[in-house]
Amino acid sequence: MKIIACYSNKGGVGKTATSVNLAYAFAKDGNTVLLCDLDPQGASSFYLRVKPSKKLTEATFFEDVERFTKSIRASDFDGLDVLPANMTFRDFDVFLSRMRNKRSRLKKALVGAGSDYDVIILDCPPNLSTLSENIFKAADQIVVPVIPTTLSERTFDQLVGFFEQKKLPRKKIKAFFSMVQQRKSLHQETMESMRKQYRKRFLQTVIPFAADIERMGQNRAPISIYAPRSQACAAYQALFDELEDVLVSKR
Amino acid sequence: MISGRNRHLLTVSCLIGQGLFAMTDTDAVFILAGGFDARRISSRLKGYVLSVEKGLSHQTFHVLDCHDQSIRASGRVLFQISDELKLVGDGMVLAQKGRAEGCFLSDLTAGPVRDALGDFPKLRAFMRIGSGVMSTQDLSVLDDLQKTQVRGVLTTLTSERGQACILTFGRMKGYDRTFKLLRNNIDLDVNVGLKTLCVTLFPDAVPYRAKPEIRLGKTEPSVEVATDLIHTFLTVARQNEAGLLANIDTEFLHDYRVSLRRVRSVLSLFKGVFSERQTIKLKRTFSDLMAPTGRVRDLDVYLLEKYNYFKLLPPSLHEGAGIMFTMLEDERKQVQAALCRRLRSAKYNKHVSATLKLFSDASNFELGPNAQLGAYDYACALIWKRYRKVCKRARMITGETPDALVHDLRIDCKKLRYLMEFFGPLFDQIAFKRILKPLKKLQDNLGFFNDAAVQQEALIDFIQQRTNTQHRADAQLAMAVGGLIAVLDQRQKVERARVIANFQNFDSPQVRNTFRSLFHQKED
Repeated sequence: MKIIACYSNKGGVGKTATSVNLAYAFAKDGNTVLLCDLDPQGASSFYLRVKPSKKLTEATFFEDVERFTKSIRASDFDGLDVLPANMTFRDFDVFLSRMRNKRSRLKKALVGAGSDYDVIILDCPPNLSTLSENIFKAADQIVVPVIPTTLSERTFDQLVGFFEQKKLPRKKIKAFFSMVQQRKSLHQETMESMRKQYRKRFLQTVIPFAADIERMGQNRAPISIYAPRSQACAAYQALFDELEDVLVSKR
Repeated sequence: MISGRNRHLLTVSCLIGQGLFAMTDTDAVFILAGGFDARRISSRLKGYVLSVEKGLSHQTFHVLDCHDQSIRASGRVLFQISDELKLVGDGMVLAQKGRAEGCFLSDLTAGPVRDALGDFPKLRAFMRIGSGVMSTQDLSVLDDLQKTQVRGVLTTLTSERGQACILTFGRMKGYDRTFKLLRNNIDLDVNVGLKTLCVTLFPDAVPYRAKPEIRLGKTEPSVEVATDLIHTFLTVARQNEAGLLANIDTEFLHDYRVSLRRVRSVLSLFKGVFSERQTIKLKRTFSDLMAPTGRVRDLDVYLLEKYNYFKLLPPSLHEGAGIMFTMLEDERKQVQAALCRRLRSAKYNKHVSATLKLFSDASNFELGPNAQLGAYDYACALIWKRYRKVCKRARMITGETPDALVHDLRIDCKKLRYLMEFFGPLFDQIAFKRILKPLKKLQDNLGFFNDAAVQQEALIDFIQQRTNTQHRADAQLAMAVGGLIAVLDQRQKVERARVIANFQNFDSPQVRNTFRSLFHQKED
């Protein structure tokens, strides 16, 4: 089982779109995938038309394995399940550690129900908290969308600084440029300088700024469902391929 | 009903779904006679919409079973759809690759369908019961966000005679409540079950029964019982002709012969029912019908035993056994072809049809002195007499008794069994079963004893026919045959030794009492 966290300490960078499209790509590739919507706004659940579970907010929730497994919802796509939003951070810590522990009751319950996931994708909330630290520890890869602007550059510096300060392995960070407008010279210049500064942190794939991606909220489906031939769709596929390569080579 | 946006989702679910009522985690299967009214079900699901994909895919399907339709009797249906087998039943659908038509269960590749058909008769081949066209459509139950909460497949089966639907629904994780809502609403009035499916699609495909129920009245004149029985058995024989001609499996010929043998038993056991002259004439008619089938059946028996024969012999004799079986297979082809020519001939068909017609009315015959005896009294007298004869013979058998007398016992047991079967409907079934069980056991024992003897004789015949004028035979062949004869002789001795014990089991005080109370009450 691999855990991929989709994280950005800055909002509005295309994090949820990345989570949903990546999760779909992994599922389509034959993996069983659980997409965990940790963002209290529940955007990835929204994109997949899954309504948040009311029961999830109850405090005793994670004491009860059965009730947890019951809160997982199948998406409309084979192999892709969703854990809807409304989970407390503390709950999620417990969840992560139990998912990692093969002998935990939760893990056994999932295996018993035929839902031992190959890949877990976490759509994380945008802040640097204790939760984030635990996520960074638990995840195999931390996918970070970065808009090539001065502000984003600063927040990315903060993230790398946070890793250094907490002595977290920086090589888990897989950043990529998001919402890129090739015509903007600022974008070009920022990308160039950041790639130089963080040579090993950035993936090759670039996700363009595209109306097709913005329309995800209207269509409420992964982009390859409603715009399979678009440039944006190809870009997400390339992102998946690149991440998959890393995961495979690590196995 | 399906929004533009949602059509994308449906296309995908169609592509990634397994199609053709084949969801591996199917949780509910419904059978509907006639068409499926999605709108009506949809209107019952408050807050949800049941949407049916517009695109259709068509495929030819065949329903497979054996002659007596044992799969159907077990409440299941086996479909062949191009090179895939699908078994629908027990609330689930099993699927595996492969073709079954003309095959035996043991010929099928390993898979869930083969596993589930473990009780399919070993000597029966799969044959086509009916065919038609099936179309499949994906179904989904959508909520107000157009999210799919239950996914299903609607399979519409159309034959020349009718239409039926198979609806399968799979649970989606986290949406159990919607699944239950849907299930309850379909169950409400439209789910008719699999047995109805076959009746709807193939009303003419009536399952074959080797021993149909025959209604007898206690005071029915015995000649009417005799003609009823003969008419029924001859009809059963005829029901095996098509399968025999198509060479589907060896059971067709076997059943054909068994039915004719039953007819002949009626003629020989119902003494005095027909006049003597009439009896001789009828016996001749039926022995003529049966005679050309004997050699084919003998060869069938050997060929079915092929595997066991090889197991009896050491590998050094397998070459000769191989030669022998090739010869037997060739001969079977020839005699089967000759039998088929006969069965296809107009003369045969005319003759059998006329005979069958004759037996539809007892007044067509010259009657004997017992013709008007009431069935019950007549049955009691015949069975009681035969039972006493069996006991008398059996009690005389010791370790030293010649084999010929054991053979006679076998024939008497067989006659007793036939009489009990013919008149069975007149008696208490529970008491009947109690005495049939030890009788069957004794008969099996005597049957094995007889088989071993007959096979030895046949093997001696076989090698003699292949011996030249200098009394020389192919060495490999002769060694294999010799080896088999030795093993069969051992077997015969083992069976012989068990006869006495098996008879004692049959001759228990309980069985004696039951026989007496069933068939010999009056004279007490």
